[in-house]
Amino acid sequence: MTQVLEGNPQQSKLPLKLIITGGIVFVLFLILPFFLGRFQTALMSKLLLFGVLGISLDLVWGFTGILSFAHGVFFTLGGYAMAYYLKLNLSTDRNTYGVELPDFMVWNGLTELPWFVAPLKSLPIALIAMIVVPSLFAYIIGWFIFRSKVSGVYITIITLAISSALTTFFVSQQAYTGGTNGITDIATLEIFGLELTDINLYIVILCFATAVLIGSYQLTRSNLGLILRSINENEQRISFLGYDVASFKIFIWTLSAAIAGVAGGLFVPLNKFISPVYLAVAFGTQVVIWVAIGGRGTLVGPVVAAILLGQVQNYAERVTQDWQLVVGVLLLVVVLFIPDGLMGLIPKRFSLSSIPKAMATSSSSSGHIQARLLDWLTPSKAWVSRLGNRIGRGKGRDRSR
Amino acid sequence: MDSVLSIKDLKVVFSGFQALKGVTLDVGDREIVTIIGPNGAGKSTLLDAIVGKSPVAAGHVYYHGREITNRSPHEIARMGLGRKFQNPNVYNGLTIFENILLALKGEHGIFSSLTSKLTRAKKDKIAWVLDRIGLLDKAYMKVSSLSHGQKQWVEIGMVIAQDPSIILLDEPTAGMTSDETHLTGEIIKIISQDHSVVVIEHDMEFVKQIAQRIIVLHQGEKLAEGTVSEVQNNPKVIEVYLGRERIDVAA
Repeated sequence: MTQVLEGNPQQSKLPLKLIITGGIVFVLFLILPFFLGRFQTALMSKLLLFGVLGISLDLVWGFTGILSFAHGVFFTLGGYAMAYYLKLNLSTDRNTYGVELPDFMVWNGLTELPWFVAPLKSLPIALIAMIVVPSLFAYIIGWFIFRSKVSGVYITIITLAISSALTTFFVSQQAYTGGTNGITDIATLEIFGLELTDINLYIVILCFATAVLIGSYQLTRSNLGLILRSINENEQRISFLGYDVASFKIFIWTLSAAIAGVAGGLFVPLNKFISPVYLAVAFGTQVVIWVAIGGRGTLVGPVVAAILLGQVQNYAERVTQDWQLVVGVLLLVVVLFIPDGLMGLIPKRFSLSSIPKAMATSSSSSGHIQARLLDWLTPSKAWVSRLGNRIGRGKGRDRSR
Repeated sequence: MDSVLSIKDLKVVFSGFQALKGVTLDVGDREIVTIIGPNGAGKSTLLDAIVGKSPVAAGHVYYHGREITNRSPHEIARMGLGRKFQNPNVYNGLTIFENILLALKGEHGIFSSLTSKLTRAKKDKIAWVLDRIGLLDKAYMKVSSLSHGQKQWVEIGMVIAQDPSIILLDEPTAGMTSDETHLTGEIIKIISQDHSVVVIEHDMEFVKQIAQRIIVLHQGEKLAEGTVSEVQNNPKVIEVYLGRERIDVAA
């Protein structure tokens, strides 16, 4: 009788196809900068980090069903930790005023380093802060949101509010944060005497992105992944099976913020500045768009979408000032015609493993993505879903929600 | 009698409306207790209050002598109370196997779920559960492709997999064909060999098939208690049911 249960598709070993394809893609990315110019290498580094930010949102939105516009905030908090470190380690002769104190603090009348910035002059402390500050911030909000049983769209509204509030706060605290300009004119990141620029930095970022992707994939294949998906589908039922739903949500939320924070930290030596632009709702919305276009619950999808959209923007910018229009049209096309996202376009027989398929292309989750996204992005959801039905993609749209 | 579940003078109030007006009830070890009563009698509310879904206004719930009144649902579930809901409350996006796996006893923490391995013992346990609900050959099918009756069985399977000492079933046969209903009755009888069972039911044929002790609820109060024939011949029960619902009181 137990023979029937031998071939369990859920937790079997990693499919060989997946390992080989993954390996080839990794090697391709590894040799890529030797064929690209400095500009493209830097652009690809940036897009990989945006992809990682997308993965971190995918963990909470795609898998657990919590739509957040605050992931840019976690990213930026990690970024500021790194930016303070690089600013404090800028040699005095490169400082506008020729002093140790960062320039923006000087012209805002500060005479000494604030106590909470001073420790960031040390690299280990800055690296720890890059992870701990965003995740502690996320843990505290998460504790209040998820323990108080706020759910669904209200969580999303809270994340919008957090994003706006923090933007305003950082802009207003000019003496400590550099205000609207943020922290600019920073030192080059050096680790063990090795300058992290161009290709070096690209390789570090590529390895980080690969680690996050593999780690997240393993996490979603574990029992934890199964529980997260169940929370997404019906969180009340799973609490009656003995699971403390709030603690699982707080865990994935905090973990996701930590990943976003590290991505933000690596973004600063590349970008050469950090500013409240990345705290704002507009940036948070971009992250949501990468996940939606790439495919919710696919992990790889957000990375693909971030790279594609980044490159489209790069070339569209040269042709027209209105590149955002191009991105907007692309988003509409995906939402209307490919509700499963770009990863949903891959035919099932080419799919590399059974797991993402089960999550990403099940009729229920596709309807879900579209419904959720449409809630936010267009007011005429009913009209759009009628259109969707007409073109024959209206399978399983309405779920009991 | 050594009772597994003991309810004392339980009251539940929904914004001024008294859904339960002081119900007292004991469930013994490996006993099947069937709760019947007209719509709005408070049957589902009683189960909700026991498992921590509805707040208890007054009174007490004891489980193996320990007070569990108003504890949170996941704590109560971990202690060993399993609940099946009225509509099949299963994960349509997952396979039957995954549904049962989620329900298995133990490993409810974050880190244990991260490191958890699918052991031989777990597979055997899942196979054993699937065998009991007759869905072993469909283990890797998506639940969404099952019939309504089969979904009800999946949820019964989930409750069995929790290995609770008491199982609360809210209308387990709702929407089933008469064959499926009969099979469900047999499943429940097998379950009661290892667990105490509380069943809410409308179908009197089914009640007769499984019942040992029946409790009649009416307007939030216990109206009568006894065997099938005692309840059927109780004048108060006849009065309440007369002209209300099809119940073969005369039989």
